[in-house]
Amino acid sequence: MPDGATVAIPPGLAIAQAMPDVLPPVRARRGLWGFLRRYPTMAIGGGLLLLMLLMAVFAPFLWTKDPTSLAPALRTREPGAQFWFGSDMLGRDVYSRVLYGARVSLLVGFSVAICASAIGLAIGLFAGFIRLADSIVMRVMDGMMSIPPILLAIALMALTRGSVQNVILAITIAEIPRVTRLVRGVVLSLREQPYVDAAVASGTGTVMIMWRHILPNTLAPLTVQATYICAAAMITEAILSFIGAGTPPIIPSWGNIMAEGRALWQVKPYIVFFPAIFLSVTVLAVNLLGDGLRDAIDPRLAKKL
Amino acid sequence: MWAYVIRRVLATIPVMAFVALFVFSLLYLAPGDPAAVIAGDQATPDDVERIRASLGLDRPYLVRFGEWVFRILQGDLGTSIFTNLPVGHMIQQRIEPTLSLMLVTLILAVSIAIPMGVVAAWKQGTWIDRAVMGFAVLGFSVPVFVVGYLLAYVFALELDWLPVQGYTPFREGLFPWLENLILPSVALGGVYIALIARITRATMLEVLQQDYVRTARAKGAGQRSILFVHALKNAAVPIVTVIGIGIALLIGGAVVTESVFAIPGLGRLTVDAILRRDYPVIQGVVLLFSFVYVLVNLAIDLLYTLFDPRIRY
Amino acid sequence: MERRNLFKASAGIAAATAAGFPSPGVSQNAAARTLRFVPQANLANFDPIWGTQYVVRNAAAAVWDMLYGVDENLVPQPQMVEGETVSADGLTWEFRLRPGLLFHDGTPVLAKDVVASIARWAPRDPMGQMIRAIQDELVAVDDRNFRWKLRRPYPKMKFALGKTGTPCCFIMPERIATTGNATMITEYVGSGPMTFKRDEWVPGARAVFERFGRYTPREGTSSWLAGPKRVLVDRLEWVVMPDPATAANALQAGEVDWWESPISDLVPLLRRNRNIAVDIADPLGNIGSFRMNHLHAPFNNQKVRQAVMMAINQEDYMRAVVGSDTALWSVLGGFFTPGTSSYSEAGGEVMKRANMDGARRLLAESGYANEPVTCLVGQDQPLLKPMGDVTADLLRRLGMNVDFVATDWGTVGQRRAMRNPPGQGGWSMFHTWHAGADAVNPAGYNALRANGNDAWFGWPTVPSVEAGITEWFDAPTPETERAAIDKINRAAVENVVYAPTGFFRSYQAWRRNVSGVVKGPLPFFWGVSKS
Repeated sequence: MPDGATVAIPPGLAIAQAMPDVLPPVRARRGLWGFLRRYPTMAIGGGLLLLMLLMAVFAPFLWTKDPTSLAPALRTREPGAQFWFGSDMLGRDVYSRVLYGARVSLLVGFSVAICASAIGLAIGLFAGFIRLADSIVMRVMDGMMSIPPILLAIALMALTRGSVQNVILAITIAEIPRVTRLVRGVVLSLREQPYVDAAVASGTGTVMIMWRHILPNTLAPLTVQATYICAAAMITEAILSFIGAGTPPIIPSWGNIMAEGRALWQVKPYIVFFPAIFLSVTVLAVNLLGDGLRDAIDPRLAKKL
Repeated sequence: MWAYVIRRVLATIPVMAFVALFVFSLLYLAPGDPAAVIAGDQATPDDVERIRASLGLDRPYLVRFGEWVFRILQGDLGTSIFTNLPVGHMIQQRIEPTLSLMLVTLILAVSIAIPMGVVAAWKQGTWIDRAVMGFAVLGFSVPVFVVGYLLAYVFALELDWLPVQGYTPFREGLFPWLENLILPSVALGGVYIALIARITRATMLEVLQQDYVRTARAKGAGQRSILFVHALKNAAVPIVTVIGIGIALLIGGAVVTESVFAIPGLGRLTVDAILRRDYPVIQGVVLLFSFVYVLVNLAIDLLYTLFDPRIRY
Repeated sequence: MERRNLFKASAGIAAATAAGFPSPGVSQNAAARTLRFVPQANLANFDPIWGTQYVVRNAAAAVWDMLYGVDENLVPQPQMVEGETVSADGLTWEFRLRPGLLFHDGTPVLAKDVVASIARWAPRDPMGQMIRAIQDELVAVDDRNFRWKLRRPYPKMKFALGKTGTPCCFIMPERIATTGNATMITEYVGSGPMTFKRDEWVPGARAVFERFGRYTPREGTSSWLAGPKRVLVDRLEWVVMPDPATAANALQAGEVDWWESPISDLVPLLRRNRNIAVDIADPLGNIGSFRMNHLHAPFNNQKVRQAVMMAINQEDYMRAVVGSDTALWSVLGGFFTPGTSSYSEAGGEVMKRANMDGARRLLAESGYANEPVTCLVGQDQPLLKPMGDVTADLLRRLGMNVDFVATDWGTVGQRRAMRNPPGQGGWSMFHTWHAGADAVNPAGYNALRANGNDAWFGWPTVPSVEAGITEWFDAPTPETERAAIDKINRAAVENVVYAPTGFFRSYQAWRRNVSGVVKGPLPFFWGVSKS
């Protein structure tokens, strides 16, 4: 019997993780304190992410100005009392732009994670269960995956007008094959399990097997993968904006703020610096959350912590 | 096994066909007009129309696709709309810097990341493990251009240890070549190191719990031998897989890194071509990248059988 | 074997040695003879007649010579021609080439090459088109003489052949010049002081030029495109750097010698470096443009156009584009290049002072029905992107319905050619800029033409502007020229052919071991040396 490590890592996992076992987590100690003690990374990641979320949602009430209003006479001011994070080359307030920018990054990250997971799950289940579809679907996925995701996203962005929706769509399309592969890998390994064999033998319908046995076991690794997709999507959005093929620049997103400030990197580093910190911290938070989740649902790792 | 190898090799043909169709269709549908760019800012609408017709951009989809595939099969990637140079020639001019960058990054990343991952797994739960994992998470979280500018600022501008930018061809000496590649490779390598270190640690943890490791340990094998001979060998498949898949990260990252460090490679060619809608170049480059990527992963798939004879197909 | 070839061969050996066995002495020598230059943009194609971007012209000016060349006073001086005679009626021009002119393949420049080159250039150039329209014949008389007979006098002939505005009338061998002007040339055999190294050209990264040893410079002193073009370096390398921060680093580290267009925010950084000199690149500067589509609502309504022009605060645009350094920009009261004899502020008061309240009133009067204003903004152009940002803010404050299309310059290029209404793939406005050297008079000022369908994108129809332009061409005296200029300016302001967003200059920067860099509308590589 193939061991867990070799089978469970499908060759398509972008940010590959050790595949967790499909067993329920070891019961945690009760209460918030117990949770924090047990899963510190998840707690830190979740906490930071929650902070960012609150900041994004309540941006208008956090002493911000209109992030798009210009004041060319007040351009490139150093951080100070008037502009907490300084002003950019059009005299816009970097603090306000960074706070509002969180909305775009988080929106792109979450949307891509959810859409790519949902679509990838559907295709992966389909491919994993229907042999005939499998080879066709997986060849298409192989084809898509053989185009590096950023290249694919750039090419897709070239097709359409820059908008947040199109960025989400482009990154989602680029991420789907990886989810599909993951789900299909899980399905294929589960299909070999005795209890699935038993279900098939007892005449349970395919849909029922999927629903009862496959889907629940897929959800755990998929959730972990989704957090990594979320993190990757936020960085991809920044890269797309950085090279000029992303979110329309009229919308303040961290990628856009950095792209605009990068020419002045040496003289006015704060324009790049602040969004870079926020982006890095948010991506970090999501990654920590993902790690925490993975540890939490992987009993063998959890035992050792 | 040979049947598997042949089957696996044959399977790349439809993949490449799909890529060809996809890439061609994508750019066929793209808005933006190379004719308008070529004609220049002072051009009249008639000029634009005339140039468009002369480039053959006004002909139907299937005609253009058919011609394109036919020419590619003859090894002709077409001619750049902008430079009037053969795309093959342009790629050839640009391939050395990109290959060099990727090669150095690959070697650097693998030689740093695998020991990092192994040590982290071995010292699991200690501060070393946490530091390695912390670094790995940071590597995933800090965008490559931020790392690039930071490195350039510190090591090139402030300390003046390394060149700020540019590329020196290999034929001008190993040292000048390497000198220009260190900063970009470190910047580009960040994510890749993080990726490989994590997967190494994770698989090592899996493997270290296996019976045969316990057996080896019980038999009194040395710690180093356990780690690097027994465990690492058994953890090799996922690690190598990820190294192969990570090539995609390198290709994507090269686009940005080459811009930051002014390296005249394929990544910059791609971005320039996409922004200018130089269809033949975009098609040629994406096709080439995809082809390389498919080949690398094909090679790795085939290597599985070498590393892990337990896998049967 | 000729001496030149001997020299070339030894230089080649030296270069090969330097490449193979890095020895400090040799490579330093070679470095001193190689000028490394960061151009404003990538040299993507190299046919200066087919593509008309400024960057192509700048490279081409080193490789191909011209019949005439304007000096720093914009007066055309003979360059390849020895002289010309014009018949008393002004209809017959006889030109004579100076002796010793050679193409880079070693063949002599003959009158038939010139005739073929003019024939390829003229249909692509606004002034060339005007001459073609009145042309009787253009023939080579013998190897050194050619004749151009017209049906009406064309006093601006020498300016047309020697101007800096694109496309310039570059002289190429006949076999190349007979390439249709819709097809790109593939052979770059020049007539100028430098050869183009096609085999070393990496579009997007590098372009290499070498001194042409058998070029015969004129006598006298060099001034812009006029006078001797003596190349003092062996090799010129263009290093393309799309990111200004990278270029600034490279210049500070001495990895490049000369940067054509540093952004003004980085200039203080460069000034702090004692090895770097910074100066204005082109005294004639550039004129920013808010180009409107006169065919469709809302900008088919003169009052709406006037409202926008009234609302525009050029200072905002200029600060956004070139920064806080007020020495670099000024507010325009007219359409022509400030500081030149044709600059006029006739009727231009409204341009100079922003009046948002007046603009809102005018907009209300105009009957503007909240039609969307489709703004095309090329994000990949460092000068145009900030203009677009200012415009979006301005139009919104004015109370207009902004449809902001952030895209790349290529897409702007395509969409601006569409005459459909904005909702059907068309557009309402885009930003661009016009070189001050092109806007010194109506001759080369394509963007000011207002002859409807034949006009530049936006297709304005303003008979009074066109009448003024005709008057200028026919003007016999400087006074009548001036009157015509004032008339054009007044009409262009009143009808808002386009809305200027200000006049700006940019910097250039070079290492102090480079000498001979001059200010001008394009970088001149002759006369520049490196120690």
